[in-house]
Formats: sequence, structure tokens, C-alpha cells
Amino acid sequence: MIPLSSMGRLVRGGERLSYGHYAVDASQWQALWHMSAVALPMLSFWADELRAYGLFLEGDQPLLVSTAIDDKRYVGPSQRYPVAEWGERVAFDLYGVEAMDVPGDGRSALDGGAWDITWPLAQRPGPGGSHGGALKASKAPFWVDGNGVSGVFGLVPDGQQGGICAEQCEAGLGHRGVIAQLLGRTPDEAMGLVSRMSAGGYVAYPLALARAFMQAEGRSIEPAIRDGWMVLLEIERISVHLHDVMLTACAMDAGVLAAHCTHAREALARVCVDHGATRRLTDMIRKEGYRRGVEIVPLAQAVLREMKPRLSKLALLVDVYAPRLAGLAVLPVDLARGLAIGGPLGRSSGRSLDLRRAENGMRLDALRATGASEGDARARQAVRMTEMFDSLRLLERILSSFGLGDADEAYPAIPQAIHQEGLGAAEAARGDVWVWVRLKEGRIDAVHMRDPAVPVVAALGRIMMDMDVTMMPLALRSLGLSTAGVAQ
Amino acid sequence: MKSRTVSLINAFLDVRRWRAHAPAGGGHHLPISLYFLETGSCEGCAMELETLCGGAYALEQNGFRRVLQPEDADWLLVTGAVSRRCAERLDHVWRAMPAGKSLIAIGRCAVDGGPFAGGYATLGGLAGLTRVQRSVPGCPPEPAAILAALVAFREGKAA
Ligand code: SF4
Repeated sequence: MIPLSSMGRLVRGGERLSYGHYAVDASQWQALWHMSAVALPMLSFWADELRAYGLFLEGDQPLLVSTAIDDKRYVGPSQRYPVAEWGERVAFDLYGVEAMDVPGDGRSALDGGAWDITWPLAQRPGPGGSHGGALKASKAPFWVDGNGVSGVFGLVPDGQQGGICAEQCEAGLGHRGVIAQLLGRTPDEAMGLVSRMSAGGYVAYPLALARAFMQAEGRSIEPAIRDGWMVLLEIERISVHLHDVMLTACAMDAGVLAAHCTHAREALARVCVDHGATRRLTDMIRKEGYRRGVEIVPLAQAVLREMKPRLSKLALLVDVYAPRLAGLAVLPVDLARGLAIGGPLGRSSGRSLDLRRAENGMRLDALRATGASEGDARARQAVRMTEMFDSLRLLERILSSFGLGDADEAYPAIPQAIHQEGLGAAEAARGDVWVWVRLKEGRIDAVHMRDPAVPVVAALGRIMMDMDVTMMPLALRSLGLSTAGVAQ
Repeated sequence: MKSRTVSLINAFLDVRRWRAHAPAGGGHHLPISLYFLETGSCEGCAMELETLCGGAYALEQNGFRRVLQPEDADWLLVTGAVSRRCAERLDHVWRAMPAGKSLIAIGRCAVDGGPFAGGYATLGGLAGLTRVQRSVPGCPPEPAAILAALVAFREGKAA
């Protein structure tokens, strides 16, 4: 039993809206950002026109706090939690609600003056250009393509000091209005779109959403489905890690390592197709199960056969090229912990949290990767490699007891809950994905998706401090940075 | 130690063995320079393009090379729905390319916006903005299919 933190106590002093979700008044909300006690790590912050929400971790359990927004203003948590700044800027762009008492300059995250409607999700949107915040970012030319990120990321190198001008970088260029599209959809309709949130989480995103629906609808999932989901998530982890190791290899001219990774990932894709799945596991997760026609057990067996010999060779090659990555793009331990950075980045920077350890039915003995604390590109490569071996071990353990054990419980639904809402999470290859959803008459009334790259973007300034511009593509690739789920 | 060395040598030999060769008659072309531009999506198609450059596919042997400046590019390969904020960038990149250039939409989003079409944030896909003569379908398309399509385009076959 984890002792309640004073912050946790303050949150629980509010009205309980659902399991782990408490509503506090404006003064309690404000007190959260001024407490002198050790703060709980914040996973995510978001707001709509009516409420502001902060999601924390207490031990390995989520704790959600929200407060009503009065006159489109609220006290912003970024004064204490820098990771909240992104959510504050997004909330202003989408709803026109404004964070007060915050250090940021209110720069637009998503709009940037390009939309022909302002505050598109507000009850009364404005005409384009009536944003009111600091619309434009830097006038400096964005280094958008070829900067080491596959997607759209505007990077502004600092010509004088080295490193980057973090406050001018643009992570929202690829915004595509996903939240607007999800509102009003039925859960089944939403699954398809969320399956295309981010290619690093084709399984993880819809899985987190399916788990959120489980809580919202008060359902549990039979053990065979639970294990099928675990199998798919581990195959995705191997695939995405192979891709990220390949990207790093390409950027450091390690062609042999890159070729091995690519061949291994393509072999994995073929195995998936041969067993009724899609190549990259798109559209596999359904609200209450997984795609029909997938032979989960033979698929897991074939993955083991195909990957074991390949990973052994890969581990050797990763080792050979490791010295080239030593000391590069260090994510310091304090930053990883302070921003709640997860996945292999967090685990190679001394933050060992892995949500899988708290899952019902998890075969804990398979998860042996304890991570490292060096925090550099070399440690990240090594942790990805170790985690791939752990995934194979986990597949073996699941196969030996497939479908046994208890049903997978959602976080308990509360009988007199005021709202029909749920929270779900999945430990994706690049970190923990969280989805919170509220249903009204069987349709999505509110939704938030926390991408693991949000805190990484917040950390970039320090990770790349003083870095020569020529090293930036390699540094970004070693971070496995994708803005697909950040921009949404 | 000895077995580690043998395994390493084998790993290097694997890559020699896998190395794809130029197809018969395919080696005389001047290489075509490809510039990749992502404009807002799940990045699945962009990842497939990265995979194409990851050493397992005969991209260069088939007469293509990736470039990192639009000024050096012959063909522009676009992935993703065109977000409103990326439209200007797309225009800028296209204008920077030298004459004789070609536009290719990779994946469903780049053609018609895919699941992200409509709404305040995107302009849909390229098909809504210009005449797209060359595209590779899929969500995402396989790297092998992208390469086959590029070869076909070079031979003058539109998709
Ligand atoms: S076409 Fe599909 S895979 Fe490609 S970017 Fe769009 S949603 Fe992603």
C-alpha cells in the first residue's frame, strides 16, 4: 500500500466523479500548484471549455483531478509542471480557454494563424485570425525536413550557443483535428480513427482506448482476449524498436546494423500477414477483442521462431556500434523523472516505470529489463535491445498459460458515478499512452489522449543543449521522436 | 569469444548476401533524386519511406537516391494529409525544386486526406489541391509496393 501523498490527499478532498477522478474547487486547484510538499509526477494536462484536468501518477496508479473553468480562465499548472505547458497552449487554440499565472508567452501550439476558424471546438468559434495569443512562432527558417524526425517537426537550431531554441520549435505543424472528429462518435466508430493516431502505437493507442471504454461501460475482458492484446502489443514493441534502432543506425552510417534491423522488421511483418494480421498491426484491436481471423497463438509461436536468431545477431551488432553513441543526447535522470518521461527513454535515464508491471495477468518474471541511468543514445539503444528480448520471453510465458487466470478488470466503475467515464493505458514501445474518455448516451462526449512524446518535446532544450547542428539528426533519431501523437 | 567473432562475421556476410542487385537493363539511368515531405498524419507512410532507405530494399540499385534538399530533388514524395500549417511548406518545397519535377502521393492520406480529411485542420489530400498523376495506394503502402511503383513511374507508367 502506497502512503497517500499530501497532494493525493488534497485531490481526494474533492468530489469523487469516478474511480480515481476527483473534482476540486478553484482554491483547491490553485493550492495544488503551490504546495511545498514533494509533488506527484504529472502525466498530462488538458482542458476544454468547461473543465481543466490534471492526470498524475501516484505510485503506479493514476489520479485525475479536474476543476470547473470560469469565464474561460483557469490557473495554469505549468507554473509548477513545465510538461503542462503544451496542454495549456492546445486548450487555448482549440477552445479559447486561457491559463493564468503561467510563465509561457501564450504562443499558439496548433493554429499558428493558418486556420480559417479560431477556437474551432468552442461553443462560439471565431473567424480565422482572431486567436488573440502570440500566433506566429519564430521568423527563423524552420528546419522541418531531414532533421531526423520522420514526421513534421519544426526545429530551430541556435546559431550562437549551439543546441536548439526550444521555445521556438514547432511540434504542432501536423495537427489534423482528431479530437474534433472523435466527439460524437460511438466507441466502435472511434476505434478506427484512433488506430491511426501514431504509427508507433497502432496497437497501443486503440488498446488504451478499449481499456478506457471497459471502465466507462463497466465491463471486464476474458483472459484469452487480455492475452491476445498482450501478444499484439509485444509484437508491436519489437517492430517499433527495430525501426528506431534502424533509424539510429542509418544516422550513424552503420549500414550493416540498419540492414539487419530492416530485414528483421520486414520478416516480422510477413509473419503477421501469414497469420491473419496486418503487416504493421493496423486495425487489429477492437473494442472488445481483436480482429477476426487472427491466429494469435500460432502468430506468437512464429514470431518467436523468426525473431530469436535474428535478435541474437542484432545484439552483437548493436554492441559493435555502441561506442559511437556514447555521451550523445543525454536525458538527465532528474528531467526524466520530473517530466514523467517513459518508455525506453525513461528507462535508460533512471526512471524504471513500466505500466505492464501493474497489468492484470502480466507474467512479471518475463520483464527483466531494469534499464540504465546513463541516459545517452548508447543506453537507449541497449535498452531497446534488452526490451526486445524481454518481449520474446513474455510471449513464451503467455503461450505457456494462454487464456488462464482472472478476467481483465478495468479500473472499477463506481455505482453512483456522476459521469460514464473511463481511463485506459498501454505501455507502448515509445512510452505510456493514456486515454481518458467520457460517454454520453453511448457517444463520446469528451476525450483526451496523452502521447509519450509530449514530455520528450518539453525536454529537448536540455537534451540538445550545446549540441552541434550536424549531430541533431542522429540525436533525434536516437530519441525515437515522433510528433504524430503530439500534434493529433 | 570465438563464437562471438564467428557470429559477427556471419552478420556482415548476411548483408553481402542480401544485397539486392540492379535489375537487368536498369543500371543505365541517371539516378532520380527523391525528396520526402510529411504533411500531417500518423507517420506510418513516412516510416515506410524510411524503411525503403534502411538497406533491405534495392532503392539505389534501381536508380533512386534520397536527397535532403528540395533544390537537389527530381521527385517529391508526399506522405500525410495536408495540414493547413504544412500547406505553405509544401508550396515552398515544390517551388524550390528544379524544372522537370514530379509530384507523387504516397499513401491514402496524401491522395485524399484519408481518415483526416475534412474539418478545420487539414485541406485533405493532394487530389483536392492539384492534379495528382502519380500515387501509391495503401494505408500504409508496403515499401516493396512503393519501390515497384517508383520503377513503374520512371518507365512512364502512371498509377
Ligand atoms: S495513409 Fe494511413 S498509414 Fe499513411 S499516413 Fe495516412 S493514416 Fe497513416
